[in-house]
Amino acid sequence: MKLIRKIASVISLAAAVTLAGPAAAEKIVVGGKNFTEQQLLTSMTAQYLQAKGYDVDTRAGMGSAVLRSAQENGQVDVYWEYTGTGLIVYNDVKEKLGRQEGYERVRELDKPKGLIWLNPSAANNTYALAMQADEAEELGITTLSDLADAVNGGKELVLASNAEWYARDDGYRPFAKAYGFKLPRDQIKRMDSGLTYTALKEDEVDIALVFATDGRIPAFDFVLLEDDKGFFPDYAITPVVREEVLDSSPELAEQLNQLSDLLDNEVMSSLNASVDVEKQDISDVARNFLEKHGLI
Amino acid sequence: MKQLQQSRYFQIPMLIVVFLIGVYLQRSGLIDGMLFYWEDIVYLTKQHIQLTLISGSIAIAVGLPLGIILSRPRFLHVSEWAMQVLNVGTTIPTLAILALSMSLLGIGFIPSVFGLFIASLLPIVRNTYTGLLGIPAHLKESASGIGMSPAQMLVQVEIPNAAYVIFAGIRTALAINVGTVPLAFLIGGGGLGELIFTGIDLFDTEMMLAGALMTALLAIVVDIIIAACTFLMVPRGVNPTRA
Repeated sequence: MKLIRKIASVISLAAAVTLAGPAAAEKIVVGGKNFTEQQLLTSMTAQYLQAKGYDVDTRAGMGSAVLRSAQENGQVDVYWEYTGTGLIVYNDVKEKLGRQEGYERVRELDKPKGLIWLNPSAANNTYALAMQADEAEELGITTLSDLADAVNGGKELVLASNAEWYARDDGYRPFAKAYGFKLPRDQIKRMDSGLTYTALKEDEVDIALVFATDGRIPAFDFVLLEDDKGFFPDYAITPVVREEVLDSSPELAEQLNQLSDLLDNEVMSSLNASVDVEKQDISDVARNFLEKHGLI
Repeated sequence: MKQLQQSRYFQIPMLIVVFLIGVYLQRSGLIDGMLFYWEDIVYLTKQHIQLTLISGSIAIAVGLPLGIILSRPRFLHVSEWAMQVLNVGTTIPTLAILALSMSLLGIGFIPSVFGLFIASLLPIVRNTYTGLLGIPAHLKESASGIGMSPAQMLVQVEIPNAAYVIFAGIRTALAINVGTVPLAFLIGGGGLGELIFTGIDLFDTEMMLAGALMTALLAIVVDIIIAACTFLMVPRGVNPTRA
């Protein structure tokens, strides 16, 4: 499919050049990370911008750091980043900041690098740890501190994490340190992002790293453990665009902000659920959403 | 003697080059960076070896008898057909095999072992089968001429003569196996893939190299071990490495 799309875009580009048709459209490269929500956002942004008359290319399914450096190098023009990731992972900010402050700070820090953070959406896709509702109740765990107590009290709990979180600066190691516990290495299972949900559902593990906006959390009857020490910052989903691109097509900011305004946790989680639980096609879900809001 | 001296002229500059590469790596901080993951490296290498050993031995345990059975005259009419089925099995990308075995067996260790077993089965069966069929007719004739039963002929004539080819198959299979284990990470099977894939996701070259170099090292060690087995276990008369 990807190949066909690529061939199609090459042909259309060639056609556009030879026919020298309507004033050459701006070429926009939309990037995205390697999990459902990001694939949805990539597809949504690409279809939306295409409808607005841009010539769009997509680069989906990258790891955070790879995507970010691709954007810094100008290979990706726009993608949806999370404020918390921007602060901690790319700018090494250690202090705790509120939602608004965090956004302001990361916007200021990234501006000199030529990256512009547009309006943040209301969706906060923070990291969270989830357990099966009945098991959590049985063990009396509702907060992350309870979890730390249980582990320190000798309970053998197995955690599923994706590759990235385990090694990130705002990931497992600092998290475990903040809550004062340590799991033995063989009680941490690392796997592909989407699998942690399956692993928890099928009792392969006791705790899973999840994204707060994932539709499988309610669908599989998971409970999120409350972050009672406030370890995780806000991860507001925000479109980030290269300054050069904004300079050459200034109306892009307004257009993306329109999309950003529509997103909040409920919207994201139901969109994610259509893909992960109801198994609908990502580009269909994205298109339906855009059509419903009259964007295409 | 002359040969030895020549090789010594070659060895000394080689040693210096290796030493300089080592110095460079140390000074650039790459080795320190990789040693930061030492705990992970040890733990994951153990898992990696486990996965290879278990899936590899099952593949040998199944592949050898299967290859022998298929080469018997009685089964020759189905054997090409069976071999095609195995061929098709190998053309499916390993990642897809892993994904399929995940949907059958869940996630984690067991589906990984199953996927790796499938991936390394074909070379073993194929080489056993080809090796046994390639035994010259006159050897078999003289064996039956001195009154050997088909079973004696298999054990005393055919297998020893085909041993070198069979070992080559095992060697290929295990090399593929070690190199494929990193994919097991994607279905929660562990192994050095954890470092490789996390390294790629986070753009952390040291982490990725820590995983990749260990994988390469394991592949070399496995290859040396099988080569040594071939050297020792294939009978002198038909062993090109000992001629």
